[in-house]
Amino acid sequence: MLQNRKLLIIFRLIVGGVFIWAGISKIADPLSFAQNVRSYQLVGPALSFLTAIFLPWVELIAGVWLILGIYPKSSALLISCLLLFFIVLVLITMARGLDVDCGCFGTFSRRADWRLIAEDSLWLALSLALLFSPANDFSLFRKKLSKT
Amino acid sequence: MPRVLMGLKKILADKQTWVGLGLIFGLSLVGGLVSHPGLVRRFLAGEFRQAFILKEDFPQVVFVSLPEAEAAWSERQAVFIDSRSLEAYHRGHIPGAISVPLEDVKSGREDLLAVIPEAVEIIIYCEGGDCQASLNLARWLESRGFKNLRVFSGGWAEWTQAGLPVEANAAK
Repeated sequence: MLQNRKLLIIFRLIVGGVFIWAGISKIADPLSFAQNVRSYQLVGPALSFLTAIFLPWVELIAGVWLILGIYPKSSALLISCLLLFFIVLVLITMARGLDVDCGCFGTFSRRADWRLIAEDSLWLALSLALLFSPANDFSLFRKKLSKT
Repeated sequence: MPRVLMGLKKILADKQTWVGLGLIFGLSLVGGLVSHPGLVRRFLAGEFRQAFILKEDFPQVVFVSLPEAEAAWSERQAVFIDSRSLEAYHRGHIPGAISVPLEDVKSGREDLLAVIPEAVEIIIYCEGGDCQASLNLARWLESRGFKNLRVFSGGWAEWTQAGLPVEANAAK
């Protein structure tokens, strides 16, 4: 388990920041994101629309809470699960030979490829470090789940 | 590894973890509904079933069915654009269609658009099913000033299933 508190705070800022940016850029243009979700050809129009309305807010709130330390374990767990899901999704998409925009950062999205998997894996490593670390500095809710 | 699993077990066993998750999901639902009430209303009214575009933003893009596409083809009223890959186009395409692969256009090959005549109706298709290339190419073309854009969403799959004429390995 990582004990370096300064490093953990930096991890929180990085992962939280990435998710805040991802959330805001999609909230700004939900239809484009819905179209991106549809491009993965896994869910129909209704679920794509619901995802586009709902998921960006999950990313935004989880990112803000991770940085502020509000239910830090919940947000770290959620972010880790989302990243794992994104990695699997991109792998499946590549295996199916689909050429799609990832939809990760709204209009700043790019192709779902190996580079994206590498990037998501890095964020996942950071968020798992946060999930399993005891340090919880500057948290609004200083609940100790430590000594894991 | 066992320590990590123990840690995960502990986190999952903590009620606070689930309270936090519930709050994030609940607030996200509220946030989504409150931030885009107009879009939610339009979706519930039946919009966005074919594509997630605002009609007012893309007035030139219209969806056409197989009979409409077939009529336009047999009466030579429209130019057909195949937005699939060049390999798929060579394997078979709607007779007379021009190959403009979306992936190539997106990679910077905008010169491919030069072969598209502007004055006529343009019918764009891709593989069919859930493929999005035709719509995305239509959006691209509209943003570059093309008019009379039609998306034949049934695409290649619907065309071939209907037993309509096809052409293979022809030049562009």
